[in-house]
Amino acid sequence: MPYQLDNPPLDAREKLYFPEIFRAIGLVARTFFRNAFFSRDTNPDILERDQRLNRITTLAYPEEKAPYPSAYRGLHRLVPRVDGSPRCVACYMCATACPAQCIYIEAAEVPDDPIEKYPKKFVIDELRCVVCGFCVEACPKDAIRMDTGEHAPPTYTREAQVLDEKQLLRGPPVSYDHDPWLRRDSRLPARDLERMRDLARPFAQDATDEASQTPGFSVRALASEARAAAGAPDAGKLASRKS
Amino acid sequence: MKRLFGMLLVIAAVLGGLVGLFAVFYLAAGWAAGLFAGWGLPAFYGSAIVNTLTLMLVVVMVTASLLTVAERKWSAAMQDRIGANRILVFGSALGGVPYLLADALKMLTKEATYPAARSWILFEMAPVQAFASTFMLFAVVPVGPDIEVLGQKVALMVANPDVGLLWIFALASLAVYGTTLAGWASNNRAAMLGGVRGASQMISYEVSLGLALVGVMIAYRTLNLQEMTIAQGASVLGPMPAIGLLLQPIGFLVFFASAFAETKRAPFDLPEGESEIVGYFMEYSGMKFGMLFLAEFVEVVVLSGVVVAVFLGGWHPILFEGWLRTHLHPLAFGAVGATAFMAKVVVLCWLQLTIRWLLPRFRFDQIQGLCWKLLLPTALLNIFVTGAAVLLDPSLKLLAWIGVAEIVAIFGVTTAVSRAPAQASGHGGHGHGHPAHAAGH
Repeated sequence: MPYQLDNPPLDAREKLYFPEIFRAIGLVARTFFRNAFFSRDTNPDILERDQRLNRITTLAYPEEKAPYPSAYRGLHRLVPRVDGSPRCVACYMCATACPAQCIYIEAAEVPDDPIEKYPKKFVIDELRCVVCGFCVEACPKDAIRMDTGEHAPPTYTREAQVLDEKQLLRGPPVSYDHDPWLRRDSRLPARDLERMRDLARPFAQDATDEASQTPGFSVRALASEARAAAGAPDAGKLASRKS
Repeated sequence: MKRLFGMLLVIAAVLGGLVGLFAVFYLAAGWAAGLFAGWGLPAFYGSAIVNTLTLMLVVVMVTASLLTVAERKWSAAMQDRIGANRILVFGSALGGVPYLLADALKMLTKEATYPAARSWILFEMAPVQAFASTFMLFAVVPVGPDIEVLGQKVALMVANPDVGLLWIFALASLAVYGTTLAGWASNNRAAMLGGVRGASQMISYEVSLGLALVGVMIAYRTLNLQEMTIAQGASVLGPMPAIGLLLQPIGFLVFFASAFAETKRAPFDLPEGESEIVGYFMEYSGMKFGMLFLAEFVEVVVLSGVVVAVFLGGWHPILFEGWLRTHLHPLAFGAVGATAFMAKVVVLCWLQLTIRWLLPRFRFDQIQGLCWKLLLPTALLNIFVTGAAVLLDPSLKLLAWIGVAEIVAIFGVTTAVSRAPAQASGHGGHGHGHPAHAAGH
């Protein structure tokens, strides 16, 4: 049922029209002086703002940015190793998985290594990208991530939206204890190798696990939360079926 | 808190700057008057020419163009927004003032397009007509008192005719032609409708505009605005000065409302009606539109000036006036008085913008009804009451007491809340269905 407006007839004072205008001027004047004479709280979380004096809730965008949710799929990045080279081994998994075919890879062999490859060219056309995240899921080496928290920046030319490996390679480095270049004889200097081994941690089996994705985001945690919210019966049923 | 101190500092700096500026204006007027007196011409010509340049081209124009920015920023503050702040000068938005230059640049460099079937003389004339007649209104408004500067008696007003108020009525009526001609000459249905609406609205409000001031004329026994301002400095009811607001609160309200209709701004913006007919300036582009647009703001400033001169004590600083008059050099007192005038004008401009952003547009019959059924009878009644009061007691004491009673009555009616608490109980009572409830009334 739609909201019913209570619309009683005007009383004598309201018919005079002017008294109500005076009251409204008072109201607007109060708002004006609060907003014009007191500084605005610039907290990007608007609900947390101190609104005792200034009531403006605007987020002045380029200067104040609301944080994206932790699971936000931002601009791609090529994850570097500790020595700054990309983790990518040019296996073409991401380019194959990409439904928009926006990834172009040219592989090259690492000169003094018998097995390993590296991407001589790794180009992502951000205009073609549909931000599905399949490349991140497909990558066996956790070499491409979308955890930058930035969206594709506006540019004046289309060419500027095509990012190459130099622009993509950024962000904190990552090492895993099963990284092949750590286990076998490596072309890396011993000192770097030592540091990488120190930083290495176990590689998660599940691509959406919190270990390999953005910190703070976990599909498993969310799923278990949802199960808990749905209540005990579901969990009980599951348990009984198991037994 | 930092912003509060900053704002107060800015206000103080602006007021201080205005005092200096008006002192310079006085000196310039005195110098020119002396120059003309030396040539054997009437000294008044010199000060009139200088005052035309300083008051009309500097004070009114700058205030009006700043109002275009103020409208954006002030309306933003009223609506919990930030307002124009993207032009940064050394990292600071400067309260949006740089937008003034951007707007001017845009208006001046925009392509001027013309409707092919226009009436070209009238089409070119209309913006000038709208702009000039509102501008000329300000000629008789006294910004500062008569003082002796460099051996010449000058005041910060362009002309001082004895028919001051009649000049205002005459030129306020002429301003209608700008609107109407713009609408007519564009040869466009919507513009024509806007022009006709403007004409009918402004001619109606002309009547109550004039009648609202008759009470003031009776009370001060003059049409000359400078004399009227001086008369407002006399005390009545103890220390209270006999300002027009005290003697004629009803006249003030009627005049202010009518003046609002004259400016063609919301809630009286039928000639424009952006959402339905675009308005009488529909076919204008570039700086011609800019002139029509700016004429509106000039009108806001000028009518604020008239209201200040007639009802709010003009250049009387009111606070500490006796002390200022005895302790300051006459030139400094004149500058302080002119600054007080400008401060009052700015407050009234703010009030006009507030009302503009507060009220929705009237329907056309409501506009005419408000004028002929409410404002006009009130103005006539006000004339009779004022006349009787002045006849019974020429010292204006009785009139002042009546004014106090009126103010108290208005205040009482305004603050008496009749409906607000009823809202909660009103919602509980419509269990029997709303159509029946509405039909019962």
